[in-house]
Amino acid sequence: MTPTPAVEDIVRSDYEHGFTTEIESDTLPPGLDEQVVRAISRRKGEPEFMTEWRLKAYRRWLTMQEPAWASVHYPRIDFQSISYYSAPKRPEDGPKSLDEVDPALLETYEKLGIPIEEQKALAGIAVDAVFDSVSVATTFRETLAEAGVIFCSISEAVQEHPDLVRAYLGSVVPHTDNFYAGLNSAVFSDGTFVYVPKGVRCPMELSTYFRINARNTGQFERTLIIAEPGSYVSYLEGCTAPQRDENQLHAAVVELIALEDAEIKYSTVQNWYPGDEEGRGGIYNFVTKRGDCRGARSKISWTQVETGSAITWKYPSCILRGDDSIGEFYSVAVTKGRQQADTGTKMIHLGKNTRSTIVSKGISAGQGRQTYRGLVRISQRAEGARNHTQCDSLLIGDRCSANTFPYIEVKHPSAKMEHEATTSKISDDQLFYCRARGLTEEDAVSMIVNGFCKEVFNELPMEFAVEAQKLLSISLEGAVG
Amino acid sequence: MRVETTKGFESWLRGEPGQLAGSGLEWLESQRRTARDRLRGQGVPSSKQEAWRYTSLKGLLEQGFAPIEEVVDTLQPSDLERFLIPGLETHRVVLVNGRYAPALSALGELPKGARLSALNALLESDPEVVRARLNQVAGAKQSLFSALNTAGLDDGLVVILDAGVRLEHPIELIHLSIGMDEPRVAQPRHLLVLEAGAQATLIERYLSLEGAAYCTNAVLELSLGRDASLQHERIQLESTNAFHVTGLYLSQDSGSRYQGVNLGLGASWARTDLVTGFRGEQAECGLQGLYLAGDRQLMDYHLDVDHSLPQCSSRENFKGILYGKGRAVFDGRVYVAKDAQKTDAAMSNRNLMLSERAEIDTKPQLEINADDVKCSHGTTVGQIEPEMLFYLRSRGISESLARRMLCLGFAGEIIQALSTESLRDHVTEQVGQRLESAPLN
Repeated sequence: MTPTPAVEDIVRSDYEHGFTTEIESDTLPPGLDEQVVRAISRRKGEPEFMTEWRLKAYRRWLTMQEPAWASVHYPRIDFQSISYYSAPKRPEDGPKSLDEVDPALLETYEKLGIPIEEQKALAGIAVDAVFDSVSVATTFRETLAEAGVIFCSISEAVQEHPDLVRAYLGSVVPHTDNFYAGLNSAVFSDGTFVYVPKGVRCPMELSTYFRINARNTGQFERTLIIAEPGSYVSYLEGCTAPQRDENQLHAAVVELIALEDAEIKYSTVQNWYPGDEEGRGGIYNFVTKRGDCRGARSKISWTQVETGSAITWKYPSCILRGDDSIGEFYSVAVTKGRQQADTGTKMIHLGKNTRSTIVSKGISAGQGRQTYRGLVRISQRAEGARNHTQCDSLLIGDRCSANTFPYIEVKHPSAKMEHEATTSKISDDQLFYCRARGLTEEDAVSMIVNGFCKEVFNELPMEFAVEAQKLLSISLEGAVG
Repeated sequence: MRVETTKGFESWLRGEPGQLAGSGLEWLESQRRTARDRLRGQGVPSSKQEAWRYTSLKGLLEQGFAPIEEVVDTLQPSDLERFLIPGLETHRVVLVNGRYAPALSALGELPKGARLSALNALLESDPEVVRARLNQVAGAKQSLFSALNTAGLDDGLVVILDAGVRLEHPIELIHLSIGMDEPRVAQPRHLLVLEAGAQATLIERYLSLEGAAYCTNAVLELSLGRDASLQHERIQLESTNAFHVTGLYLSQDSGSRYQGVNLGLGASWARTDLVTGFRGEQAECGLQGLYLAGDRQLMDYHLDVDHSLPQCSSRENFKGILYGKGRAVFDGRVYVAKDAQKTDAAMSNRNLMLSERAEIDTKPQLEINADDVKCSHGTTVGQIEPEMLFYLRSRGISESLARRMLCLGFAGEIIQALSTESLRDHVTEQVGQRLESAPLN
């Protein structure tokens, strides 16, 4: 099936959010050695234990191999040509409220359509906006503080809550975990820290908007969320990025810890710059996300809508350690143009009666390459473990590809495990049915694709669901097969 | 005399290559040399390699298997009788320890244009026939074990059916292993060529007379011409201390039809690689399988289904029953090339786990590069439903019998795919016996 001109138009359309804000950056020169690691730590005024922690990670990273097993192709990354730190100027008199924020920054947000001022009043969402690598605006802190919730940048947490950071940082994703997690541990610039005390239901949905800015700086975000027994938190992560020429490396690490009866809901809408028609200049998104259901009856739920980036390498995982704990993974991934995505999840069942659900929807158009790679492991003591996996791929155009690589390891007879995968295209019958009822081709395709993804969108918080649907229709509208 | 384990497959390559069949033939020597060179250059696969992620070669290498040199010709037709299936009329070819045993075989009457011969003899009498067909299907895709087979290639069965030839009775290939004083490996190499429109049924049976540990490393190259049709049934019933390796390579021309049924019931360690490929459009390929794995047993299946051409269809359906400390690995890959539109592929792997110490590792993969295709896969792992057990118990059936009945019902789908009733009965009985001796709870 050849795409219609309308598809070609959409696929070729310039990146909507492509603009760069001229802002003076306090940037380290490219290159990485122990001095750079020390310099990052020093600039952030970190205590001695953090510096040591970073150096240990750096030394280990030097011995690690870049992973090559993913089904993605890209030129070799020169880790010495990347600048590992970039902070907006004037950090010493950092803004205390939005009024003090650099107007250029606010302008950027406005271009992005993020009504940061209005959000306070309208959406009731506290926004810890990450512009480049340092958080510059945090709202609703008072409300959160009243509930006892700590929501701040990880740099602040290192200063103000060193005991918590020391106890939990790296406890889910150790620096030895993989190449990119090792790199992140050594050079992470900033990120988000959330701590929800015992029995507290976080009064609002927490959200961080990431924005990659200064040229040639890899972003190394580090997120740590701790939910104490009986607490609940929903965290939203969303991002867009300005157009640029160089490939940008983004190697984030996200660690979630849910103790007894706690629940963490982590939602992501990712729409970074995917590169031009030839795939040049897009973001490399190599992320390690893992949640640890440490306590009994705890629950961690990952929802992601991935439409951007040139290359996505991402496997949000759950370690179901506590008995009766629950892990969920809902994902919609779109690859078009020359985008490549190798994504999926790992569900490691260790505790008794642990349950996991995986719903993965992949949409591949143009010359997009998409891979679902997942692991479900049911260990010897995971009595009564249950898993259901559904991976569906939708292909649009005859030059795209969709792969499914599930790994299933079962060591307990009482386990129930189901895995289903299908690959299909938008069928002529479906289109004809809609057309016969007066829908335009575009509306019909949009409707079918949204129906295809509905199971996942239903899991997103409302504001995100709207954004996700919009993103999807921008990405694929007109893709008639 | 034991060979050091660290040397990997060195012991397999021992012996005088000059004594192998067709040793004067330059083209054959060159194929053997290429295989040897490849093996020497390549170390022992570790669990880091995707194809060996869940399967350890340690136990096999520790045995230090060496090729069989002496020919066992002491067996009488009466020794074979207990292995024959009553009521099954076939063209029977018997191999003992990888070598053709004419005294035990009963080829029967073959129609004109049908040729059944031993590879060893054919290399003497008509080497060009072999040259045109050997290593044509396996070729570059062959696995490590298949390369070992090529390096030590000596005997096996060659079947060539001319265009339009139809065999009324199945060809029955019995491979009988007799343990030797030392751990030995038999490496039969079978070639099956069905020209356009030819039709046949091949039944392969791997059996053993009790004895020491041994290894069978069989390679089959099957080539199906235009509109040819092959029903292929394999029953692996090796002894409980045996190692069994199969590399099956299939090449199908347009409109051809292949139906394979794989039954893995014996051996302590069994690895099967099924590699299929289409040379023409509108061909059909069916791979079905049943494996039973109990204490000290490993059943490992690797499927590589290559849809490189449009409009072909394939069905892969494998079922496993695991009990005791049994382990099974299923790694199935369906690959659809860029222009292979209208491909229709469905893969399914279902497992019944009956004990706490059993383990299953399954990996059904789809690689799709065309959009107008229908591809799916499904996997399940589960146990016997208590409701079903209750239903049978409430009708006065003992628990162990009820469990056995349910397992046989689960296995029945695959057993029913066998073409002859006598063979179905034989397999049902074998499966039943294994389940009876197995601790099912």
